[in-house]
Amino acid sequence: MKALFKSKPKTPADLVRQTRDLLMYADRTSDTRETKREEKMVELSKLIRELKSILYGNSEAEPVAEACAQLTQEFFRENTLRLLINCLPKLNLEARKDATQVVANLQRQQVHSRLIACDYLEANIDLMNTLINGYENTEMALHYGAMLRECIRHQSVARYVLESEHMKKFFDYIQLPNFDIAADAAATFKELLTRHKSTVAEFLSKNYDWFFAEYNTKLLESTNYITRRQAVKLLGDILLDRSNSAIMTRYVSSRDNLRILMNLLRESSKSIQIEAFHVFKLFAANQNKPPDIVSILVANRSKLLRLFADFKTDKEDEQFEADKAQVVKEIAALEPN
Amino acid sequence: MAEQEESRKVQYPLNSKDYEIIDEIGRGASAIVYKALCIPMNFSEVAIKSINLEKSKADLDNIRRETKTVSLLSHPNILKAHCCFTVDRRVWVVMPFMSAGSLQSIITSSFPNGLPEPCIAIILKETLCALSYLHDQGHLHRDVKAGNILMDSNGSVKLADFGVSASIYESSSSSASSAGSSSSSLMLTDVAGTPYWMAPEVIHSHTGYSFKADIWSFGITALELAHGRPPLSHLPPSKSLLMKITTRFRFSDYEKSNVDSKKKKFTKSFKEMVGLCLDQDPSKRPPADKLLKHSFFKYCKGPDFLVKNVLQGLPSVEQRFMMSKLRKVVSMVKNDEEKDEEDSLEENIKRRRISGWNFNVEDFELNPVFPTEKGNDENPEKKHVTFGGETVISDKEGDSDAASNTSISGQVLDVSIESKPAASVNAENMLNRLFVLRKSLDDQRNMLTDVISTVFGKRPNPEIISREDQLLQIIEKLRNDLEAVKKKNSELELEIEFLKLQSTNE
Repeated sequence: MKALFKSKPKTPADLVRQTRDLLMYADRTSDTRETKREEKMVELSKLIRELKSILYGNSEAEPVAEACAQLTQEFFRENTLRLLINCLPKLNLEARKDATQVVANLQRQQVHSRLIACDYLEANIDLMNTLINGYENTEMALHYGAMLRECIRHQSVARYVLESEHMKKFFDYIQLPNFDIAADAAATFKELLTRHKSTVAEFLSKNYDWFFAEYNTKLLESTNYITRRQAVKLLGDILLDRSNSAIMTRYVSSRDNLRILMNLLRESSKSIQIEAFHVFKLFAANQNKPPDIVSILVANRSKLLRLFADFKTDKEDEQFEADKAQVVKEIAALEPN
Repeated sequence: MAEQEESRKVQYPLNSKDYEIIDEIGRGASAIVYKALCIPMNFSEVAIKSINLEKSKADLDNIRRETKTVSLLSHPNILKAHCCFTVDRRVWVVMPFMSAGSLQSIITSSFPNGLPEPCIAIILKETLCALSYLHDQGHLHRDVKAGNILMDSNGSVKLADFGVSASIYESSSSSASSAGSSSSSLMLTDVAGTPYWMAPEVIHSHTGYSFKADIWSFGITALELAHGRPPLSHLPPSKSLLMKITTRFRFSDYEKSNVDSKKKKFTKSFKEMVGLCLDQDPSKRPPADKLLKHSFFKYCKGPDFLVKNVLQGLPSVEQRFMMSKLRKVVSMVKNDEEKDEEDSLEENIKRRRISGWNFNVEDFELNPVFPTEKGNDENPEKKHVTFGGETVISDKEGDSDAASNTSISGQVLDVSIESKPAASVNAENMLNRLFVLRKSLDDQRNMLTDVISTVFGKRPNPEIISREDQLLQIIEKLRNDLEAVKKKNSELELEIEFLKLQSTNE
């Protein structure tokens, strides 16, 4: 008999409501011995998968905009996202991955040309705390991390994370021993510091002192090769962004910063050297070099010129060669003061 | 269920000191694969893929994606990662050790003309299960080939190497940072994979491709298992060349023409199944889950069948890898001679993953010269062919030539085999000696380890541990020294052999 009714199509909103009911059930009970529980968790996994195939389509069909909109609207009408995030550790691996993809997709769904996910997150911004703290849980880190990166696509959410106390934790998360988790945290960190230009510039100028102090000591001077390599690359991306020009000017006026970059230039790793050069060139190109910067450059002039003389990228790179020529010219022309 | 989750959580140590490297078992442009023991886990065997980050110029994002993919996949036919962590400039990915190695290496060493069909059916079915799971997850493997299908001693088959895999979900999010488009197309456009196995729509990457590209590679892999090499592998793997051919060449006819010449019989359902995969039109290729229902897979046997028919008498992974290294030495000697031709052709070759097909190329060239059946005794050059799995050493003579210029390799080969059997005997002796040397080395090492453990036990005394470390270091150093001498020795011997060969040529 049951099979007869099974074919009756459920609306996307129905599916969301059923999912929510089961999530509430899963949230309440953690007694794994309860007989019905396993059955219900299987049902829940199936529902999440159905939501995913509505949002992404499947091998037979492309997603339908109207169905996606219905689903999104019902999803954020109540607290489904919070339930899903809280229950995620109770789901099995496959359901966790599906849930992550559902959450990711929902961040981009527009209903009446509004990103309602953004409105929801602004009202429930504490959810970011759960997602960020996920990096401390090996089992959950990659799932929560992926959700987090999707959520910070919204500028207001990114601003919250940047200005929160959590920002300091990223300096440690980036260096977690599990490479996959550390790399995920690094990707999120980079996204936070590059995606929303005006927010980033505002954050950096307000938090300049502690941020770059941490950045220098914990990342650029880290004993970990990958940390240094990623950090110097990201630093270049940040400082070379036009919206951060005020921060760049400030950064290249500090002799401590110059010392750190010159140490990175001397590394045996070619990749780090090249990235360090892209930051170092800003010190040299600065037309208003403070006297202590000039004196360091002059004192190290011959060493630097020797270094640049056989400093090459593996592939031919015209821009790099031009930059190098410019830097050499600048340094050679410096007058001791 | 809960218990299962629990066992999955067994955390492998994230410190290189907890692993003892035993042997190198594979090597690519930017990664080396080792067999190793995990010391705190009862010295259990693991494989460690060590990715050199300094050499992989591609940004770290790709490596992040690869490690994330393997961390989150969970399927009996997919090689998972226990953990991954950094060791200075390298990332170590710790994985289960698949003791029988890759199908490509199994074929090269013991089945140069391909595997029997019932074995192929099992391997393909298991691989297809993996692909079906992957595709369902939104992942493309993008490098399906025998070199990436691994086997364990119990006959279980796993798909490995997600170095170029892609997720249709992720690719949209990473490129969307600039475009911001929603991900409905589920299409990729970047070129990835190894030329011979690449689907036409991947080579013509501007048109976009999706899961069906893996199905094409799967079809090519079927041919590879059946014949011992992928189609067209006698040609240099230049993309532009393959591009011209794959569009005109009807792969579905490949079976017919080749089967006749080889006198190998394959069933109709096998040929039909492969034909379906190799349809020029991706939309006509069946998806993985549908292909699984094909009649070819209906009466598939179990893993025990593979153990009996494929794994018995197979040289170990370590031995096979060493032989492939020896082959490389000979090819290096040769390369010096033919550098110019080599260079011009190799420019087109994607250097990554080249080891996979390189050897197959020669096997193809060498087949007529080295029959797999036992030769008759009055034919001196046939004798050494049957020596264990070591035919490969003679194989090597054609190596670089085969890669650089097929016609030249043919000439050199004829000469080397027919007029100069002594050369191969020489190599055979040398290899024997190397094996003996290696064995005694291993024995000594084991004895020393035994002595250390019986003398000091496992007391957690820091002083003793440091002495133990010291001794281990000394062993390691001696081992390295010997390894170097061994290498040098083999290089010299092979060079002599080659020079001899040349002088008789002239």
